[in-house]
Amino acid sequence: MYSFTKPKKKQFFKEDTKLWLVFYAISVFLYVSFALFLLVKAYFYSKNNQIYNQNIITLNTKISSLTLQKENIKLQKTIYEDIMVKNSLIKDSIKNLLDLIPDPITLNKFLLKKDSLIIYGITPTKDVYNLLMLPPLESIFTKTDTTFYQMPNGWYKFKSINKLKGNNETAFN
Amino acid sequence: MKLPSIKIKLPKLKIYGIDVIKNALFFAFYISMTLFIIAFIIAPSVKIFKNAKNSYFLSKQEFDNTKQNYRHILEQLTKLQNQNQQILNAFKRNFNENNFKLFAKDYMNIIKITKQKTIPYKNQFAKTSYIITAQIKSPKNFYDFINNIKNYKNIIRVYFPIDFEKSNKEINLTFKIETYRLLTAKAEEKAH
Repeated sequence: MYSFTKPKKKQFFKEDTKLWLVFYAISVFLYVSFALFLLVKAYFYSKNNQIYNQNIITLNTKISSLTLQKENIKLQKTIYEDIMVKNSLIKDSIKNLLDLIPDPITLNKFLLKKDSLIIYGITPTKDVYNLLMLPPLESIFTKTDTTFYQMPNGWYKFKSINKLKGNNETAFN
Repeated sequence: MKLPSIKIKLPKLKIYGIDVIKNALFFAFYISMTLFIIAFIIAPSVKIFKNAKNSYFLSKQEFDNTKQNYRHILEQLTKLQNQNQQILNAFKRNFNENNFKLFAKDYMNIIKITKQKTIPYKNQFAKTSYIITAQIKSPKNFYDFINNIKNYKNIIRVYFPIDFEKSNKEINLTFKIETYRLLTAKAEEKAH
């Protein structure tokens, strides 16, 4: 049989079905793309997160080092200030000791130790020493021993040994 | 054996040439597929993304805080270093006897400096003792010396025993000094 119209190829899918399939494909592609986009973004976030964590560890190490340096400086400052205060105390102790010597008594030598003081001097009479010099010494030291030697002119040379009770105590520092 | 073929015949309802039933089924399938993709692909991705984002911002915030703290401590350290430069340098220097004599000559005439011993002090420092034998004109010279020792380039402590002995017009003075030095400064010097 002969036909005047050419035979139409039978389509596997109809037009509307094709449209749906394309629509499905586009949708799936967009969904998957969106999910992939989120995963890539999450990957970069976690990568940056790791970098930040690494930097935090480095910074914390640096902070520990700086804190140690700060403590060292504070320690040096404290030691310096402590030494200067102690120097000042020693100066004041000597000053006070020399101010303690009454006019009639002459001092020849004194030896200041951590827990003792030895004074060598000359006094016109024993009473002058006992009245003017002994009381302040007794108020500072726990033990005071004085030895007198009479000189040819009648005055007395004396040696006064003053001690503190405890080994760690000091009257001057 | 031939399997029985099941043929589902959908009813056809056409409006303006559009197969309503078929399109409704496609639409229903589309909705199901979307829900399935959301449930099993998008939702887990969003969850991963959110977790990563939260962790990132937490880390960023912690990093910013740590950085700020670091800068603050660095600033404090620099300030401390600048304020205490003289003290820090003094702890690093070696004690020089001639230089000390030069410094003390305004107050006393140093006759002899005898080095005693060096011992560790508070783990980080070395303490060296010296006995100074000198002559002074009056005790005031010694007071002035102690007052000005804080300006000297080493850390010096005047310590016991202190011996004053009158000799003609002058006073013979014997006293101990202790110099303090950083042990690390010594190590640094050796390394160089």
